[in-house]
Amino acid sequence: MKTVKKNIKVDYMARVEGETSIIVQLDHVPAIKLKIFEPPRFFEGFLVGRKYDEIGDIVSRICGICPVSHMTTAIQAIENAMGIKVSSQTKVLRKIMCISQIMASHLIHLYMLAMPDYYGYPGIVDMRSNFNKQIKNLIRMKEIFNELTGLIGGRALHPVTHIPGGFTAIPSNHAFASILEKLKKMRPLAKQVVIDVSKFSVPDFHCDSEYVALDGDGEYAFNEGKIVSTAGLNIAVEDYYQAFEESEVDYAFAKKSVLKRRFSFMVGALARLNNKFDKLQSKTKRLADQIGFKIPSDNPFHNNLAQSIEIADGVEQCIKLIGSNSFEDEDFNIRIIPGAGGSVTEAPRGLLFHWYNINRKGVVEKANIVTPTSHNFQNIEKDMKKLVTENKNKGRDQIRLLCEQLVRAYDPCFSCSVH
Amino acid sequence: MSDMKNKKPKIGVFKYSCCAGCEFQLIYFQPYIMEVFEAAEITYCKMLQSAGSEDGPFDVALIEGAITEQWQVEQLKKVRLVSKYLIPIGSCAVCGGIPAIKNTDEEYEVQKRVCNDTSVIHSVKANPVDQYVKVDGYIKGCPMGVRDLTEMVISLLLGKRPDFLEYCVCVECKLRGNICVLVAYGQPCMGPVTNAGCVALCPTHNRGCYGCWGPMTDANAKALADQFEYMGLSKEDIRRKFTEFGQPSKEWKAGQVE
Repeated sequence: MKTVKKNIKVDYMARVEGETSIIVQLDHVPAIKLKIFEPPRFFEGFLVGRKYDEIGDIVSRICGICPVSHMTTAIQAIENAMGIKVSSQTKVLRKIMCISQIMASHLIHLYMLAMPDYYGYPGIVDMRSNFNKQIKNLIRMKEIFNELTGLIGGRALHPVTHIPGGFTAIPSNHAFASILEKLKKMRPLAKQVVIDVSKFSVPDFHCDSEYVALDGDGEYAFNEGKIVSTAGLNIAVEDYYQAFEESEVDYAFAKKSVLKRRFSFMVGALARLNNKFDKLQSKTKRLADQIGFKIPSDNPFHNNLAQSIEIADGVEQCIKLIGSNSFEDEDFNIRIIPGAGGSVTEAPRGLLFHWYNINRKGVVEKANIVTPTSHNFQNIEKDMKKLVTENKNKGRDQIRLLCEQLVRAYDPCFSCSVH
Repeated sequence: MSDMKNKKPKIGVFKYSCCAGCEFQLIYFQPYIMEVFEAAEITYCKMLQSAGSEDGPFDVALIEGAITEQWQVEQLKKVRLVSKYLIPIGSCAVCGGIPAIKNTDEEYEVQKRVCNDTSVIHSVKANPVDQYVKVDGYIKGCPMGVRDLTEMVISLLLGKRPDFLEYCVCVECKLRGNICVLVAYGQPCMGPVTNAGCVALCPTHNRGCYGCWGPMTDANAKALADQFEYMGLSKEDIRRKFTEFGQPSKEWKAGQVE
């Protein structure tokens, strides 16, 4: 029998956040490497020696697409380390800011990074004439979500008002009322996103994976809760190190994180839906039902669909949170108390972990950050191996496209992963 | 920026060590993005599209990120050769930005805190783009400011010289009518030495500027550092303020004393 011993290589993968190449060795048993070559920036190295009140501003620069997630996770970790309690208003504002950023990130991913693959375009610029309506809706929605993040944070990209203890400025209730109207008008557009994405023709592909997410009491958790999985994991955030293990690999600058004594796992929108679908708004559940989305789904390509469902749900959650709260200025004082602490949140791409040791001067002595893409790293390679094995009789170009589509479906962020 | 009338300028976008936020600011630069796509042709931008070649030629090359590895220097020099104008975008590329905080420590010490096996690491100290090639202007900010970005695109299309902002945050703060957070509330504010462009975002939101736009030309860092000392900040606190953005730049050196 003739064996095909050829490699497929994507040197610098386009339309993902950051820099990676994919190497596929087409052999009897295909070998896959996600060679993340984006240079590491050593955040955990240079955060040592920096003060607790600068950390949020610094770590937001880990990622240009999920700055709010890094900032919030770091600030919560520092608050846990120093024993700082925050008001319920702060928690609500954090949640709105977090949801608005996740929705904006999902929109970029779905329309600008993923969609061109499914219609055979190199990018969205060339799709302007045939997909004019979708692109206009995308820009409209993204503007509103960015406006909401910016309203609370001062600006959408690298917010400035969010510091340990709370927010330095609270927007007026009038400003919230005006954005509430815009969000209400956005409902049909958000529904359209789900319909648009359900038209992507994704492969019928199934993988046995463990799905890990943050789960809270009675709500679709983003910033607080326990770490749960579809295989029965249920731990408190403080026990993160007991369950997860991170290691270096020699071909990529990102580290890989796996569950101890188990294996790789998936985080992100699909993992969230697989774990807490029942906590979505009932309207969203009906919409998911309409397009035939069933949980649990073991098709990683469904991560796109899961993101679109989260967009529809996110609009409703923002409307609910803004509509049922009124906001006022708050004073808070911080006392420096040495300690160590961590936090886990749901970033757009899944579970994000930060940990800090703070000394009596309020200076960081140790920092550890594990990003969603490090959590997904092993699982992407595992799934790609299966995908290539199942499709190895197809042409090289087709296999290459499938591999790229799979990586994009995971919506990785390589800048985050190498931090 | 002359000779560019009547033809669609070709833009190349290159990413080095950074968060990619400036590229997001460019690509998702609503509400003007559709107009920009009509007026200019983005011929190379990996995050936006899979087609395109890094070989150019480009009318404008936009560079984001600090330079931290040798291959980046080599590519950057090639890009310079095939580009009419080369402009660093955002603090990392303009003044080293956040990635350059690592320069305050021994490089190897910083790496060792992150990796057990440093043999695969080829990072050097983080430097801005103008350390290696001649540049034709700076679009400052973290993320880069939409005002200067718009000015660049308009200048390109009109064939005029871009007028980038070159004064400190205090000017914008006064124009907004803010009460000075440094003088009135004793908050250590980097506004007097930081380039404008954010429209005094932090002081407007009740906190001192932390310098994310990077140093203003001819900043008097010494005077501000002395003021901070007078206000009771420790030497380490002052050094941290002047090294959060723009560690390699000469303008803030006077505030970076140990």
